[in-house]
Amino acid sequence: MQPQRLALAALALLAAGGVVSSCSRQRGDQLRLGAGIALTGNAGLLGQDARTGLDLAQGHYADRAPGLELQLEDTGSDEAGATVAFRRLINAKPVAILGPSLSQQGFAVMPMADRAGIPVIGVSTTAEGIPQIGPFVARVASPVTVVAPLSLAKAVQLHPGIQRVAVFFAQDDAFCTSETQIFQRAIRAKGLELVAVQRTSVSDTDFHIPITNVLRSRPQLVVISALVSDGGNLVRQLRELGYSGPIVAGNGLNTPNIYPVCQRHCDGLMITQAYNPKLDNASNRTLLAGFRRGRAADAVPPQVTAQAFTAYQVVHEALATLKGSLPQGTTLTSLPLPELRQRLLKTLLAGTYQTPLGQLRFTPEGDVLQRDFSVARVQMNPDGRSGRFVQLP
Amino acid sequence: MQDLTQLLLNGLSTGAVYALFALGYTLVFSVLGVINFAHGAVFTLGAYFTYFLIGGAAGANGLLAGLQLPFALPFWLALPLAGLGAAAVALLIERTAFAPLRQRNADPLLALITSLGAGVVLVNLIQLLVGAESYAIPTGALAGLPAAVRIGGAQVRSVQLLLLLVAAVLLTLLTLWIDGTRSGKGLRAVSEDPTTARLLGIPSDRMIQIAFGLSGFLAGIAGGLVGLSVSIAGPYFGIGYGLKGLGVLVLGGLGSVPGAVLGGLIIGLAEACVPADLSGYRDVVAYGFLFVVLLVRPQGLLGRVLPSKV
Repeated sequence: MQPQRLALAALALLAAGGVVSSCSRQRGDQLRLGAGIALTGNAGLLGQDARTGLDLAQGHYADRAPGLELQLEDTGSDEAGATVAFRRLINAKPVAILGPSLSQQGFAVMPMADRAGIPVIGVSTTAEGIPQIGPFVARVASPVTVVAPLSLAKAVQLHPGIQRVAVFFAQDDAFCTSETQIFQRAIRAKGLELVAVQRTSVSDTDFHIPITNVLRSRPQLVVISALVSDGGNLVRQLRELGYSGPIVAGNGLNTPNIYPVCQRHCDGLMITQAYNPKLDNASNRTLLAGFRRGRAADAVPPQVTAQAFTAYQVVHEALATLKGSLPQGTTLTSLPLPELRQRLLKTLLAGTYQTPLGQLRFTPEGDVLQRDFSVARVQMNPDGRSGRFVQLP
Repeated sequence: MQDLTQLLLNGLSTGAVYALFALGYTLVFSVLGVINFAHGAVFTLGAYFTYFLIGGAAGANGLLAGLQLPFALPFWLALPLAGLGAAAVALLIERTAFAPLRQRNADPLLALITSLGAGVVLVNLIQLLVGAESYAIPTGALAGLPAAVRIGGAQVRSVQLLLLLVAAVLLTLLTLWIDGTRSGKGLRAVSEDPTTARLLGIPSDRMIQIAFGLSGFLAGIAGGLVGLSVSIAGPYFGIGYGLKGLGVLVLGGLGSVPGAVLGGLIIGLAEACVPADLSGYRDVVAYGFLFVVLLVRPQGLLGRVLPSKV
């Protein structure tokens, strides 16, 4: 055979393999659960935290009915990548989809899943308006309207003399623009003076120009809505350029992945936590035990890891409840897929769940109702490369 | 006065990075007439090389998870070595993505695409090997230097001053080499007319390799310095600088070394002049300025209008 023909044959085989793989039926009583998260790009760090949570949940629920086969797709960190990933997931006929990582992506792809009648559960999409995208959209991440003001209130409580506040936000990210509005409203509501509002971009790395602009207004508190890489750099450069006051950061920086970016300068950062590692329930104990396997005995999962674990858990528990409600002899896979998805959504929204995030319920619209929050301060170790989130009293 | 000093320092330190980046593009463009789109990936590699040479360890998400070199060099030694490593990769790109097409007299547009392909492969290779996480060159790498210094009432980070200084030294050395040495003049001859240069006994292929090597070295140094300044925000972090470098290249004039420097400084200063409340629109100002200049002077500020050959 000619080399060209060989190559063509190989390509045809690969293509056929791909078709077979993407069209394969779900095995036995197993249902396919899709997950579209950002494993690459500037939100890749957030996605990798989520992946850890999904892996741990998958391991934990592997031998518990109903069986779930997880199909993970990388959405990248932009809308285009998320669209491609969600199209693949929708074509794979999942019972539900978890993700995407960013609200910005959520506004682009959640309507796709909603139109296809697939329940889509946001893992870390906290911007305003996410559950309102459509009836099949829900989330386990508490909305920014609830979370953001808590850290600001704590900063003002710890530093009662604060009057002048400066705000930075990444203007090209839907979550950050949503979060900064909440922060700015809360700042005004507390009677504080907003002395500077600086717009940045999630792809920015060098912030010395906006920082020197802000420092001229002599802020006593800085509030940042950004993602890990840009936000971490912003914190580091703020400190290096001489700002020594308190810094409140938004949910985009709520991960230990900021440590290598802002290093010792991360110390003191205040961030609201939707996840408290000290929570004592079975689900959190499972998460902690799984997370600490192969890590330090006191390692603490990032919030997004806990949220991803929770998203998997609520889908699994809702499916188990639904299965229990079916007539004898009827299995989940025997239901037509559109009906199964609708019933799953209804069951999921009606349930109460004991998760690593504490007790969760949902509004009829799909927004999460969470009770337990805390504010943590980042405490860096002397090596300046590792640290921990310490819950403030 | 203090505001003006701050603005100048901000603009110059940002512009120095752009200029350093654009010089790499310029060197290759001057000898081949094409833009090397893999330049951003080489810049990224320079940053990673620096990180590993100073003793950094790979994160948990790549094939090389946890890998660490058995030695840790001081930053001042790691940086030029990283530049050499980046130069080696640039030479490899020349051999694989440019030379085969050149030997077949292929359309220059094809070299543009192969270089883009080489860049994408490199970036993905980085991600496969060391993951997508951020890496930070330790803030203590510049031991002995304060985090920031005050000049004329303006506050500037030491690493930015270092960047400005290194860029100025490299640009001066490059200019001296091009104008004052035999090989530098050979490079200029090849950029004027490769065929005539070859007839005059100047080894065009060697000159092209020198241009790639130098371009890679400059990218590697720039990558290492920017990595120190702002950390390495994952395998894609060279892309933004690459786009800005292209803008600088065009603004200064394609293939013009002084043009690349001037373009870099102008874009840097234009960004620094953006008012505080519009700082998120810095790129609009920079590219808007570029747009206007090109409407008036399509060949760029210091570029030449090439006579069309019949």
